[in-house]
Amino acid sequence: MVRYFKNFNYLMFASMLALIAIGTVAIWSAGNARSEAVFHGMWKQTLATAMLGLVVYLALSIADYRKILEYGSVAAYGTALVLLVAVLVFGAKIYGGRRWLWFFQPSELSKLCIIMFVANFGRRFREFGFLGFVLTGIAVGVPLLLILAEPDLGTALTLVPAVLIMMFSLRIWRKGLFVILAVIALCGSAVMAAVYEAEKPGVTEERRAAILKWVPLKAHQVKRVKVFLFPEEDILGAGYNLRQAKISIGSGGFSGKGIGKGETNHLKYLPQAISMNDFIFCVYAEETGFIGSLALLALFGMLVVPGAWTAFTSNDERGEALALSVSMLVFAHVYVNIAMSIGLVPITGLPLPFISSGRTFLLTVMAALGMVQSVATHREVGK
Amino acid sequence: MTSIVSIIVFVLGFIVLGVNLKEVQIDESAGYNYANARQSVRRVQTAAPRGCIYDRNGTLLAGNRKSIGIVLSTTPFQKRTWEATQAEIIAAIDRTGKIVGLENPLSDKAVRRHIRQKLSMPLLVWRDIDEKALARFCEHEQELEGFSLAETEERVYPQGRLASHLIGYVGRAEGDLNAGDVKFNFSDREMRGRSGVEHYYDSFLRGVSGEKNLIVDARGFTQSESTIKVARRGLDLTLNLDAKVQRAVEQELKGCIGACVVMDPRNGEVLAFASAPDYDINEFVPILKSELYDSLAGDRRKPLLNRASGGAYAPGSTFKPITALAGLGMGIPAEAELECIGVYEVGTMKLHCARTWGHGIENLKTALRDSCNPYFCNLGMEAGTNAIITAARTMGLGAKTGIDFGVDMAGVVPDDEWKRKQYGQKWYQGDLAQMSIGQSMLLVSPLQMARVAGALGTGYLVTPRIKAGEPVARTKLPFPAKDLAKVREGMELVVSSGSGKAGGEGVGVKVAGKTGTAEVGKGETRRKNTWFIAYAPAENPTVAVAMVVEYGVSGGSTTAPKVGAVLRSIFNG
Repeated sequence: MVRYFKNFNYLMFASMLALIAIGTVAIWSAGNARSEAVFHGMWKQTLATAMLGLVVYLALSIADYRKILEYGSVAAYGTALVLLVAVLVFGAKIYGGRRWLWFFQPSELSKLCIIMFVANFGRRFREFGFLGFVLTGIAVGVPLLLILAEPDLGTALTLVPAVLIMMFSLRIWRKGLFVILAVIALCGSAVMAAVYEAEKPGVTEERRAAILKWVPLKAHQVKRVKVFLFPEEDILGAGYNLRQAKISIGSGGFSGKGIGKGETNHLKYLPQAISMNDFIFCVYAEETGFIGSLALLALFGMLVVPGAWTAFTSNDERGEALALSVSMLVFAHVYVNIAMSIGLVPITGLPLPFISSGRTFLLTVMAALGMVQSVATHREVGK
Repeated sequence: MTSIVSIIVFVLGFIVLGVNLKEVQIDESAGYNYANARQSVRRVQTAAPRGCIYDRNGTLLAGNRKSIGIVLSTTPFQKRTWEATQAEIIAAIDRTGKIVGLENPLSDKAVRRHIRQKLSMPLLVWRDIDEKALARFCEHEQELEGFSLAETEERVYPQGRLASHLIGYVGRAEGDLNAGDVKFNFSDREMRGRSGVEHYYDSFLRGVSGEKNLIVDARGFTQSESTIKVARRGLDLTLNLDAKVQRAVEQELKGCIGACVVMDPRNGEVLAFASAPDYDINEFVPILKSELYDSLAGDRRKPLLNRASGGAYAPGSTFKPITALAGLGMGIPAEAELECIGVYEVGTMKLHCARTWGHGIENLKTALRDSCNPYFCNLGMEAGTNAIITAARTMGLGAKTGIDFGVDMAGVVPDDEWKRKQYGQKWYQGDLAQMSIGQSMLLVSPLQMARVAGALGTGYLVTPRIKAGEPVARTKLPFPAKDLAKVREGMELVVSSGSGKAGGEGVGVKVAGKTGTAEVGKGETRRKNTWFIAYAPAENPTVAVAMVVEYGVSGGSTTAPKVGAVLRSIFNG
């Protein structure tokens, strides 16, 4: 017990509490701006979920992560697969995707399950060299394809770095990993270049169709890439969301307009359907300004850097992989979410940890961080 | 190792975000603030109350009436679709109409147009509601969410038809939303003068409009508003007009087609300015309806025409004093005599006298008294075209009077050049003879003739003034005092014993005047425009009058009695 309190990472815990507090306020402000009364009290539900998450967090931090991985990762992985199949069959269709099963989103929960599975079995896969890489690929690829089928591109995309970092850490066919990274970078650039060629001004309709036939993206995804490439075109149509997001953030200025006083949010210029989720950073940045943005980045830094530090100080491969992967997952979410809000990357539906109102994701992240805390508290000192 | 790389990646990643956020939130912040304002602020021009118009004694001629209307704010009625919003608004209007006891005056189309074009602005549903509806509204105000009372000002003319042509009327400003460098999204459409004094002194009366900002949400519904600039009321305008004199004049012109101008010949102050038939300007408020306009514009008697300063008439015998001055100026003595035999021949043309069998021996004074045509034809022939034209132009004919009013007809004083250009013919001696008795293409307005009458009485030609307090502008006539005296004697005789006796009948002061009967038109439209011009008191004139009545019998019998009545109202009051 003494070791628990000695090894407990208080910085990581405190920054998480601060982020929960910020998130509650942001959801309160974004929810109040909506016409539907059901969203006005959303912050209470989020706060209640966070309280539940806190219990889960502390319980997991006390429990030995090694035992959990050993006995729970198969069960978690299996549950994730069942739920991902179930959501495709029984899920409610909202905004053109099947992501909701009853009251939660299996794809969010599955992130932790996949990470747990790879963290636990990665060591054994490593022994097979290239085949181990293939096995890891299959283990991750199956749920990933199910997630892509929903479709939930954002979740799938953030899983990729989270899994890759584990494969690096566990040294699963390491030399091939660099090739994979290069291939991913190349494919990404090729898709960008193709969309640019197809959508740049003065391209005939036939040529555009001919190029886009080879691009493995859906029409709405092509549109998002196009908005990313040409943000000033069509600011009333496809580019509207990004334009409004930037107006919200930019008009916040240095110190913001004050908590609960975001104009673009309250006047509903910021798209209401996503202001509480994917675009909540806009609500926050408009009200707190550049100061608030920096504070938020600092808090996330104080969350993920200690996470990686926990991996560094851990003397267990599984613990290292788990802590790194969870930190990378959180970082990927934060980076992509904020970057897309200011047009640095194409728009992808992706929540901002602790700030967005998604409760499944909040619980998942808190459970994951609880396990990272467990890695910290269970490290063997002086060994 | 992987952990350290990760930490570096995390820190670098957040630095990249921080730098980019600084660009958006600090460097480009002003641009996004502007974009935010541009999409969420609607600028509204608010109307300024219009100044009032008074006569010289403080009688209100044009004022403002507070009009209470019920307006609807669209914001509480928004629904997901525009169709549902429209239905909701129409249902709300019907509901409120039942409570207040008023019919829904708006068509569905009008509601739709408002939603499409002016969603952020309140929709005026009932304008100008009566006290009963107002009381019901106040009683049920709590239940009527989204509805409120709005006070607007409507122009009102308490004197009704009085001086309608002079005062003019107003209309709502067209949607010109550019005021200087400010571009407005909406305007209250304030009143603008469309004719008469309302038009001429519009910039004086209309004040300075205010400015209001509406904050609208993404769909265009107003969420809040703030006043940027309060509208400033226009200035009040006092006219030289005397409502009592005006009323007397209009009483005399009632049922006639004609016009009359009364002015003070010492300073040009216009005391009365009437044109008949007239119309009630209150019917033009709040807007001039097209049926009313069409019926006025289509009326053969042309009630919309301002005959006082815009009517072009041959002056007839009222021109004879000018011919007399021209003759005297050319050295033809007033005592020169001519025997009138009832006709005067120039070449093949025969000019008849009013008295078929002739007046016998006439001199200047008696010829003025009797309005003898042959005498003045002869006098004109002897004086010559140039002398007549010069005298006419010296008296202000053929040119604008310079009155502070929109309608200021110059009229025509013809000469050789003018006639060649107009008719392609040269100037004949017959034209000169005709002009000498006020015919032959001469065209004047009653305003010009009132000025002539005053100038004959005072020796000064003044610029007529509508607005009080304007500086006096007058020029001394170049005619010798003794010549003017001769003409004045003749004009006094006209009233004391001549053709215009009725013009001075019962008036407390001595009146000098001149009658005129101009025959115009041919065949069916042949008619007589009958004139009387006068000034009084004859010794020291304070009033000058010119009146014309179309389709009259003669100046002496038709018009002079009317002028006499006007003068009695002024001097016997």
